[in-house]
Amino acid sequence: MSIVSFKGTREGLAITFGEGAWHDVLNELATQLNRPSAQSFFQGARVLLETGERALDVAQIEELIALLAQHRMTLTAISGEAHTRAAFEQVRATMPAPPESLAEETREASAPNAFGKHALLVQRTVRSGQNIKYAGTILVIGDVNPGAQVVAEGDVIVWGKLRGVVHAGAAGDDNAMVGALILAPTQLRIGKQIARAPDDKRARQFPEVARVRDGRIIVEPWIAS
Amino acid sequence: MPGRIITITSGKGGVGKTTATANIGVALARRGQRVACVDADIGLRNLDVVMGLENRIVYDLVDVVEGRARLRQALIKDKRLPELQLLPAAQTREKSAVNEKQMIKLCDDLRREFDFVLIDSPAGIELGFKNSIAPADEVLIIVTPEVSSVRDADRVIGLTEASEKSSPKLIINRLRPAMVRRGEMMDTADVLEVLAIELIGIVPEDETIITSTNKGQPVALEDRSVAGAAFTHIAQRLLGEEVPFQVFDESDGLMERLARLFRRNQ
Ligand SMILES: Nc1ncnc2c1ncn2[C@@H]1O[C@H](COP(=O)(O)OP(=O)(O)OP(=O)(O)O)[C@@H](O)[C@H]1O
Ligand SMILES: [Mg+2]
Repeated sequence: MSIVSFKGTREGLAITFGEGAWHDVLNELATQLNRPSAQSFFQGARVLLETGERALDVAQIEELIALLAQHRMTLTAISGEAHTRAAFEQVRATMPAPPESLAEETREASAPNAFGKHALLVQRTVRSGQNIKYAGTILVIGDVNPGAQVVAEGDVIVWGKLRGVVHAGAAGDDNAMVGALILAPTQLRIGKQIARAPDDKRARQFPEVARVRDGRIIVEPWIAS
Repeated sequence: MPGRIITITSGKGGVGKTTATANIGVALARRGQRVACVDADIGLRNLDVVMGLENRIVYDLVDVVEGRARLRQALIKDKRLPELQLLPAAQTREKSAVNEKQMIKLCDDLRREFDFVLIDSPAGIELGFKNSIAPADEVLIIVTPEVSSVRDADRVIGLTEASEKSSPKLIINRLRPAMVRRGEMMDTADVLEVLAIELIGIVPEDETIITSTNKGQPVALEDRSVAGAAFTHIAQRLLGEEVPFQVFDESDGLMERLARLFRRNQ
């Protein structure tokens, strides 16, 4: 087993430390996190650490938290030996609470797609108050409820009902698209364009796709072409 | 076997958490379960009023947490049902008087003595909500068939899922069949379509709830009450019984029933 290994879970990114000197562990972790391909994969993730038999003290845990913070990652839990857990409790008592957003939980599912862009796969209902942001395409298998927000630098595809706020091409890309089985967002943005649902709109019961044409957002039936 | 800790919460205020806690507690106790109802709405306590036990409060939840009283001293036995007890909230303190760890400890102590620990959560998503959710094995979400209530329930379901609890179950309260039929109120399917969690009960709007609340006599004490029966069904479902969901028709106005009869005969 390698000295540092990663695994995606529903709760966040699980990182397991194997055997070896502490500074080797830290170096390896730093190297892994700095790999260019890992950047968007790890950014913002919630981290669950499995330390096994290794005893970590408060200073070591703080070191770790600082390293993770450089990648906007938050350490939310440690499972392992009792002293390590106690030290973590002590550190955590002085830490601000982790963000409640679940946006990062699904990062592990992110992988380069056929277009060479990264895609984030979200397999659950995105509920009111939840916010999903991603630097590539977002694919939701489930509904996006009113009060939820999905913001992608690439496309947004929802295999379900899209009723929240959606922004595709959020870095200014007017070529991005939004597609959903039921497309009924509260507000829809693509690149710099904004459209909101007409106040009397009744959702059409077939898949639709929204794109920008001639500086306006156009919605049309989503048919294979 | 240690008891089950069930938190009743909603997001939006005033949708029936306290009413549901009292009535499900009564219904479970009537079926021989040992039940502790815990009022976690510190500073705005009223589960004691709804249960008609207000004048017996000597110690409260905060007294127990802060070590001024033992659990046994603070628990109030119901006057009608020996299986039912209440741990009242402090009225003169704030939500910050307890933390999640203390709530977990308290409920763990309770579950040793009771089959069910029912926690009446305060409204909102702040500290009081978090304290109520922390010890829960199961979470019941109350929603009324209104857009704003559904939106807040959705938010709370998201937060509950994020706190690594098993998927919460839904109670739809104050359903008015006549309004649904006229298309003026969301129906059960509309609510479930958005929230997409398991339904555990539908409680119709029932005027007797208001009078019974004022008298401190939960409707589930009576067999005739429609809402009482609905709460009893929830208790039965919690106990693993299969109870079909009722279709509420009786509460229609007379004119509407006549109108429907008339239409049917045409
Ligand atoms: N099914 C019902 N039919 C009629 N009235 C109801 C019903 N359920 C609750 N009520 C009434 O609604 C009001 C609010 O109920 P309750 O106090 O249980 O809500 P709550 O969610 O605990 O409120 P809070 O958020 O303030 O704690 C009460 O007056 C109660 O009698
Ligand atoms: Mg209440």
